[in-house]
Amino acid sequence: MTAITNDTEFRRQLEGLDYARQRAAARFIEHVLDLCDDERIGRVAKVAANPNASADELATALHSARAAAIDSHARCGADSDWKEQAGYFVARAATAAVSPEGQVAAGPAWQAAMSSRMAQTSMAIETPEDTAGQERLAQYRILSEFLNA
Amino acid sequence: MSGATLGRGINAFKEVIDAPTAAFFNSCVHCGMCAESCLFFTETRDPKYTPVHKLEPLRKTWWQEYTFLGRISKALGLSKPVTDEELTQWETLVYDSCTLCGRCSMVCPVGNDLTYMIRNMREGMAASGHAPEGLIGATKRAVTIGSPMGVKLPALQAQIRHTEEEIGMTIPVDVEGADYLCTLSSMEIMNFPEFIGAIAKIFKQAGVSWTLSSEAFEATNSGIQIGVSEIAAELVERIVTVAEKLKVKAVISPECGHAYMAIRWEGPNLIGRPYSFKVVHILELLDDLRKQGRLKTSGKETQRLTYHDPCQIARRGGVVEQPRNLLKMVAENFVEMPDTGTMNWCCGAGGGVSAIERADEVKMKAFKRKKAQFDAIQPDALVSACANCRIQLEEGLEENYMDIPVLSLTETIAEHLVAEPQSEARQT
Repeated sequence: MTAITNDTEFRRQLEGLDYARQRAAARFIEHVLDLCDDERIGRVAKVAANPNASADELATALHSARAAAIDSHARCGADSDWKEQAGYFVARAATAAVSPEGQVAAGPAWQAAMSSRMAQTSMAIETPEDTAGQERLAQYRILSEFLNA
Repeated sequence: MSGATLGRGINAFKEVIDAPTAAFFNSCVHCGMCAESCLFFTETRDPKYTPVHKLEPLRKTWWQEYTFLGRISKALGLSKPVTDEELTQWETLVYDSCTLCGRCSMVCPVGNDLTYMIRNMREGMAASGHAPEGLIGATKRAVTIGSPMGVKLPALQAQIRHTEEEIGMTIPVDVEGADYLCTLSSMEIMNFPEFIGAIAKIFKQAGVSWTLSSEAFEATNSGIQIGVSEIAAELVERIVTVAEKLKVKAVISPECGHAYMAIRWEGPNLIGRPYSFKVVHILELLDDLRKQGRLKTSGKETQRLTYHDPCQIARRGGVVEQPRNLLKMVAENFVEMPDTGTMNWCCGAGGGVSAIERADEVKMKAFKRKKAQFDAIQPDALVSACANCRIQLEEGLEENYMDIPVLSLTETIAEHLVAEPQSEARQT
């Protein structure tokens, strides 16, 4: 029975997953999906969550995720809107989750987890609320459940 | 920027017509070579984008005010003064379709620095009320909030907390006596916060003493982009004040093109005194660490990588060899684009263009030049060292259905650092 309680263990467990199982990151994305109003990301998360997704489906999903990230980034010189920025980080999490093997140096699942936390950080950037900390704990639980299933 | 009038604009034009500018106008041989060096012209073939044509109101002012024939023509009413309508027409030429990339200055056969003149012309455009809304907003936020994108200290602190958690290291802030004060662009804080973690990891491995500042973290300078020297000087002064207060030996300019130009090359002239510290671009510092054997990497990218030179860093800043030295450490299959280094083509979004929404169409037309460079070498991935270039490259690639990832050079180096023993990682 695995019970993850810290980031060192969290990362070690993620790194131990093979490339296909790294797409467990879809569960992290689903957990922050309501922070992103781009419908493409929901579809990408579904593809990522499907262990039988074909290479073509993954490539299409990657293209959608990248496009969503590009569409939602903060424009240079524009007034910051951190709530919108949360959507950008969810799109980046989705991009990492469906990236080809070897393309995300930190590992797709770890990168997706970090970007998902960054989305929560963005939502609470001007409040004292530790939503990213709550997200971290949620990710420990999600991964523990995945590993124990 | 308040109280802008045509009269103020014309006065500003007169003030910026110094000896070099007068000499440049006088020596232009109308050869048109600057046109072929400007990506806004080459990708549209519209003669209005010829760099020297963009200067026409300034040239007219010079002729009417500082030449014998021009003064007579003006006095006799044969030469009409510059009007508001004319400046309205030129606004899009001076701001939307010039990235201050400096390529035109490189090719002029008589050595005219057209970029210098356009930079100066923007002083008059802003003073006359003909600066774009996007740049006005960014500049106001830079003055009142400290960031053109309105990024406040709590936002940076939140990103620092996130980074510390992610990499298991403490990010130093306001450390007096550190060797280096690192500045950031708002684009990095908002879009690419991984940059903070990348430099932290590199500096830890190399044993670099560094700090961020809670008072002056913003590297960019929209005063230069819009053309208001007083504001540009104030923004430089904020960094200088903090650097002196923290007694650092050097200020690091981050992966941002114009920020380097502003603090490294224009800064001392803007504030009217030399710095008591050095200014280095992050790539200069990383290359120095490499030379000293303090940057240790392992493994190499096997994909076909190319490097996009940000104009203000390479052509106007002189940082050309350093990124290539660094890429040799981590790239097995590096390939140069045609027209690279100091003659590289701009991404199309520098000099404030990316802050102007109405310029989106023309900047994507200009990107076709970059696309042609990529088509020639078919890279698997692009590396660059400017957050603004990265965004424009990503947008341009997406628009042109080109599936090529865009990477930060600093982040790529950080990803290849020799791993630390696991026991040093901090438990959250």
